[in-house]
Amino acid sequence: MMMAKVVGTVIPNQIAAGVLTGGKWLLVERCDQSGKGKGEFHIALDIVDAGPGELVLVCQGSTARQTHQTTDQPLDALIVAIIDLIDQEDVTVYKK
Amino acid sequence: MQLAKVVGSVVSTHKSEQLTGLKLMLLEKMDAGTATLKKDYVIAIDSVEAGPGDVVFYVTGSSARMTDTTRNKPSDATIIAIVDSIDKDDKYVYQRGKES
Repeated sequence: MMMAKVVGTVIPNQIAAGVLTGGKWLLVERCDQSGKGKGEFHIALDIVDAGPGELVLVCQGSTARQTHQTTDQPLDALIVAIIDLIDQEDVTVYKK
Repeated sequence: MQLAKVVGSVVSTHKSEQLTGLKLMLLEKMDAGTATLKKDYVIAIDSVEAGPGDVVFYVTGSSARMTDTTRNKPSDATIIAIVDSIDKDDKYVYQRGKES
């Protein structure tokens, strides 16, 4: 899973038939374990109600279709968790 | 999902019969954080009636076969949405119809 920071929202005006309607599409920036952005941006569907500035876990590829809400949906990036805390070698490197 | 701009279409007459009737579009990838073009191109199947100039996002890999248009079709890149706006850090980086 990729660590990313929520930096914005993407509003679609037309969406493919068969895609979950009413979903929230967020702009996320891949980041390191301390929350520092890497300049690589992705559009991901949010199912955990993440907000701007939060560090999240994004699963990619066919794994994005493994939740109950996204089964058989055309999705390749899905926010599945909001990160509260990251410990690295007994040091807290990120705290929400 | 990756951001891209529709910059053209692709025509093929000799192709897998499962691709018959599907629209192939030429996309130029965009940086989703700045909405700038990356001079990197990809061909994707359209499922939303996107046209030249539209900013879209597309799915890749096996997810590209999950739209009603592309189910069980040989596609590994499918456009699934036309973008209205993108905001980053509370500022618009893209608004449809307001490109500079």
